[in-house]
Amino acid sequence: MTERYSRQTLFSPIGERGQLKIQKKHVLLLGAGALGSANAEALTRAGVGKLTIVDRDYVETSNLQRQQMYTEQDVAEKLPKAEAAKRHLLDINHEVDVKAVIMDATAQNLEQMLGDVDLILDATDNFETRMIINDLSQKLRIPWIYGACVGSVGMTMTILPGQTPCLHCLLKTIPIQGMTCDTGGIISPAATMVVAHQTAESLKILVEDWESVRPALVTFDLWRNQYQTVKLTKAKKKDCLSCGEQRTYPFLTMENATKTAVLCGRDTVQVRPPKPLKLQLEKLAKDLNGSGYLVKFNPFLLSCEKDGERIVIFEDGRALIHGTKDMVHARATYQSILG
Amino acid sequence: MINVLLFAQLKDELGKETISIEGNGMSVAKLKGKMKVEFELEGLETVMTAVNEEFADDDTILSDGDTVAFIPPVSGG
Repeated sequence: MTERYSRQTLFSPIGERGQLKIQKKHVLLLGAGALGSANAEALTRAGVGKLTIVDRDYVETSNLQRQQMYTEQDVAEKLPKAEAAKRHLLDINHEVDVKAVIMDATAQNLEQMLGDVDLILDATDNFETRMIINDLSQKLRIPWIYGACVGSVGMTMTILPGQTPCLHCLLKTIPIQGMTCDTGGIISPAATMVVAHQTAESLKILVEDWESVRPALVTFDLWRNQYQTVKLTKAKKKDCLSCGEQRTYPFLTMENATKTAVLCGRDTVQVRPPKPLKLQLEKLAKDLNGSGYLVKFNPFLLSCEKDGERIVIFEDGRALIHGTKDMVHARATYQSILG
Repeated sequence: MINVLLFAQLKDELGKETISIEGNGMSVAKLKGKMKVEFELEGLETVMTAVNEEFADDDTILSDGDTVAFIPPVSGG
């Protein structure tokens, strides 16, 4: 065994046998923001065999405060996050087969990428994509690790198909109007702490130490000094549509996807949620105002503006993203506000 | 009495972390409704609930002495 991994192999639950397993495994990391860059670095240093990084975004100045992988040079070059991450990771450990995929993940394009994947790591910023991961995980029997953070709060849970409850057992519907990093802000230790949990769980799964996988959801708030472990022994639902006996994998169908369309003759993209929502526009206005948006609203719609981009959101969740014809960018902007 | 623990922004909305509330025999859903009316807490419909540190759904019936934690789901990354 090489010197590089000597301290990790000295850790007896991993050992040399575990290290050999880690080096044969393929992890798909979805998202290369704060959680994604720290997860990618940890697994690359640990010597994972292959790491596929999927992300739709590029590096911006506002990322540098917490997204540990990126530099001012990446911002200057406007590099896609997946590509920038790959370059830095290969400087850290050239033995890892790092693949950068610049795309907007959907149920269809993700499924095609999962053939030889041993673990899906969640570093996304929205529940819609997580529910797609959750269904694909059940369908293809691939473990995944939910991780999320906002403000000073973090949350993570490990899902083993056929064993643990799935995310759909815990969340009957996709939560709407949750805080996002664009509305509630984020401090870096919230991300770091989630990643510490995710990396430990990843290593357990990669060395196939299934008994040690944490059978509970962990949540914490580093500012309000709260820690909670929620046991999940009663959470698995027999009638869950994603992991139950009569499963239909509802999030793999188009009807449950957010739809986008370029409006004819206008520099605007319309984004429509899968089902009409009933947003509390006043609360949303307050959140957006606090995070630097110029906001106006009436009982029917809210208009907000930042960095030259104007977004109009209707009470039913439909939104117009002005100043763009890029549907992927519009969907990302929408999800950064509404989660 | 039921001990209610409020996490993250719910703690700020109420102005404190724990409260004690009458709720013996109530379902989690009913307790959520009661808290919404009494304390004007918003968004309780989508929070995750733990009863005595065990994940619980809206139908779970509560007994005196239970500790109920309301945990808003987190979506950022």
